[in-house]
Amino acid sequence: MGRLRRSRTHHGIRDTSRAMRTRAFSKMLDQVHEDLKPENAAKLASQPVDADLPGLGQHYCITCAKHFTTSMALSEHYRGKVHKRRLKQLKDEPYTQKEAEAAVGLTTDNGKRGVRVLKEANMEVETV
Amino acid sequence: MRVEKCYFCSGPCYPGHGTMFVRNDSKTFRFCRSKCHKNFKMKRNPRKVRWTKAFRKAAGKEMTIDSTFEFEKRRNVPVRYDRNLIATTVKAMKRVQEIRAKRERAFYKNRMSGNKDREREENARLIQTNIELVGANTVKNKPQVVKILTQEVKKMEVDE
Repeated sequence: MGRLRRSRTHHGIRDTSRAMRTRAFSKMLDQVHEDLKPENAAKLASQPVDADLPGLGQHYCITCAKHFTTSMALSEHYRGKVHKRRLKQLKDEPYTQKEAEAAVGLTTDNGKRGVRVLKEANMEVETV
Repeated sequence: MRVEKCYFCSGPCYPGHGTMFVRNDSKTFRFCRSKCHKNFKMKRNPRKVRWTKAFRKAAGKEMTIDSTFEFEKRRNVPVRYDRNLIATTVKAMKRVQEIRAKRERAFYKNRMSGNKDREREENARLIQTNIELVGANTVKNKPQVVKILTQEVKKMEVDE
């Protein structure tokens, strides 16, 4: 028997193609990982007043990369499911192109810089 | 010209194929086909999508540790053109490919070994537990049931 499909994957979300357009792209997990570093987090926590942002840009959730109108809304968001799910997603290392390449066995080997490394590979083949 | 690796599925992106997405922090993502691009836009994690190489590697579905992986490397060191070197390299590439294919086949066989027995056992157990559902009176099922019952009896004898 094969694996059974997880149930409740449909949430009545219509118009997904519009929602996932790249021009309305929200921050990805690896960017948030970068933001969560102490030096960046401090900057994001105390942003200057910006009239174009919701709540003058004063109530920002770093993990969800989202501005809120009031501190009330922000604290409400912290209690919510969306925020908690995001925290869970952020627990493991972000996926990178490097990992994609490592999955097909392609890694970097610069050897010793400046030293001409002749292909020992050929000799190894004979022995295999 | 370079054959890049797809960000999502790790497949090759040949020139003139696929899409490249450049994020507003100038990081680039290459996709071999629209399937991968769409999945990326859906913010899926390739590690959790079953058909990607990243998943298959992480879940132990494919060979990960092998000496044949030591050959293909990105070496950022220029090497002067040498006709003999190229000839032997091409020869070596073919040989390595052969060896890897052989080992991969062996790995797959090893991974799949024991599946048949497990399935058979599972089926026997299912019939055993739901024996009342099997139409014992029908001619078609009769020999099957008898066979399984005798098997069980034999097993018990062996156990004792």
